Amino acid sequence: MSRRSEARVLYASAAAGLTLATLLAGEVRADESSDPYAGGRAVYTKWCAPCHDPGVIHPGTNALTVKYKGVKPGVLLEWKDLQPETVKFIVRHGISVMPQFRKTEISDADLDALAKFLSRNTPH
Amino acid sequence: MRLPAGVSSADFASALAEFEKTVGKSWVFTRDEDVDLYRDAFSPLLHEPEELVASAAVAPASTEEVQQIVRTANRYKVPLYPISTGKNLGYGGSAPAYSGSVVVDLKRMNRVIEVNEANAFALVEPGVSYFDLYRHIQERKLRVWIDCPDPGWGSVVGNALDRGGGYTNANYRNHFDSHCGMEIVLPNGELLRTGMGAIPNSKTWQQYKSGCGPWIDGIFSQSNFGIVTKMGFWLMPEPEAYLRGTVSLSRYSDLAPMVETLNYLENARITSGFPDIASPLNGYPAIGQLQLWNESGPPHQTPEHLKLLSTAKLGYSPELEAYGMKSGIPYWQLWLSFHGPAEVIEAQWQAAQRHFAKFEGAKFRVVDRVKLPIDPAKADAYHEPELGVPSLRAFSIGARSPWNPTPSKGHMWFSPIVPRTGEAIIEANRVFSEAARELDMPLFRSFSMPACFWERCFIFILATPVTEDPATNKRYREGFKKLIAVGGQHGWGEYRTAPVFQKSVMDVYSFNDGVLQRFHETLKDAIDPNGIMSPGRYAIWPKHLRERRS
Repeated sequence: MSRRSEARVLYASAAAGLTLATLLAGEVRADESSDPYAGGRAVYTKWCAPCHDPGVIHPGTNALTVKYKGVKPGVLLEWKDLQPETVKFIVRHGISVMPQFRKTEISDADLDALAKFLSRNTPH
Repeated sequence: MRLPAGVSSADFASALAEFEKTVGKSWVFTRDEDVDLYRDAFSPLLHEPEELVASAAVAPASTEEVQQIVRTANRYKVPLYPISTGKNLGYGGSAPAYSGSVVVDLKRMNRVIEVNEANAFALVEPGVSYFDLYRHIQERKLRVWIDCPDPGWGSVVGNALDRGGGYTNANYRNHFDSHCGMEIVLPNGELLRTGMGAIPNSKTWQQYKSGCGPWIDGIFSQSNFGIVTKMGFWLMPEPEAYLRGTVSLSRYSDLAPMVETLNYLENARITSGFPDIASPLNGYPAIGQLQLWNESGPPHQTPEHLKLLSTAKLGYSPELEAYGMKSGIPYWQLWLSFHGPAEVIEAQWQAAQRHFAKFEGAKFRVVDRVKLPIDPAKADAYHEPELGVPSLRAFSIGARSPWNPTPSKGHMWFSPIVPRTGEAIIEANRVFSEAARELDMPLFRSFSMPACFWERCFIFILATPVTEDPATNKRYREGFKKLIAVGGQHGWGEYRTAPVFQKSVMDVYSFNDGVLQRFHETLKDAIDPNGIMSPGRYAIWPKHLRERRS
């Protein structure tokens, strides 16, 4: 393997495990008795992770990192002020090259769960 | 509530009530905020009154429900527009070709009906995405690969029907060619199976493509003659190893013989992975490198290099060539990839190098040697689709990044097919760059390289941005249509396009007074006399709307 390839493996490795492992896991069983956010986490894993998981290889994360210049994290999962209504608005309207999502993809119930999960760190 | 043109509100209400009876109330969408979810997120008509929009949407869960919806649509003359996963971004998305159509959203039909490892095929419904099929295969540890385009959330069926392409072996990269057998709900609601599927209790539906008699599968792609509800695909047995190497050449004049050599190697199946051609000296990446450039930045170019590029003509000047040689930057770089047993692909790579040894100063480098299967967690060290792994990294195109501070709202793909020659690469650059400059279009402004998805031709795939400004979008749309016409004048045509450009593209296919389009219309009138199925898709209009064609 060339030095360049090695470098690519190294920079990608931090993020790689999470993305593909989660993709492979598919739809996570939403057992909310042990994890109150299991349902939302499953929606995130299926629909959001491929663009928003940690690492520069995820276009959503890269875009947010540049947009907020350190004021907010590039990784959506680390935001501490995300409002549920903001999540719902962006999912249903899209932004930049992120398209909106239809109800056959993310139902209203799934979207509620996702919004609850992504705003779990937001003080109420 | 929006109403399809020519349908009374009473009839539309009756149709919607029947749709609800068929699929259940929660799967018929009529409120504006729900129907707006079917807008094309990358629409070049964004914020304009002409934007193509649906009147409603209905989401069936089974073939029987699709049949019932089609029968209802015939009864009330309601236009339908089926989508599979609705992710055809850059080529029309989930919006209809004719405003006011009811979108038939097939996303809920998401069953992987069969993956046969022993004979390497699959049978799937249209709502199955590449991610879904990949996951299904991985969970069961089946030793077959999918062939996917860059964005992995698209539909396996939908992408094939729109004649998309992928990145593994030549046998599988043309997604329509790699299909085997279809099930279609015809515009009258009847159910048709093609190929061997026409035999009741067929034992070989996914094993022999054409059946007997006319092979009609092609007419259900890029068309409006039915709703495909099942489709078979041949899959590649999981290879044992992957090798990717580069051939770097230093002279501008190497381009044409390089392409000829590639063509021989590929058509003789000495190389069968995705060939990827770049011009490092012109700053044009291989497709497999594009996401890396978007994520981490393109290679640094010195002020001297940039100055030489600004004065080069059609990617050439003697000074630029001399600079490339002095600096060790290849004029052309061909990425060859091989899948198979290690000893076989090493031998193929050796043979490929032997054929390129005739080029003075040719340099060879192995970039990747990968024992398969790889740990999926490590796939993103590569251009994932070349290893049969779906991803969404392609959305780095147009997205905000340190190298792109002003993200677009989307893009429309300009994608003409040109001959597989070096001369055609240069000629297409000459023709399109002159036209793009005149039209002030933001593509072909530097020397562009084509892609090698299909073995006997090149295809340029260039993104024209969609912006938030309707005036800019209008200018780009008009320019886009003129580029299509300019291509046609030179004997080149688009392979696929968004509804807003489908008439312009099909007008290029005008041999013998447009007999092809008239033949499409003859079929349309015979198969869909009420004209309810995707009116206008690929410029095929039913009789009562045909004046739209002119």
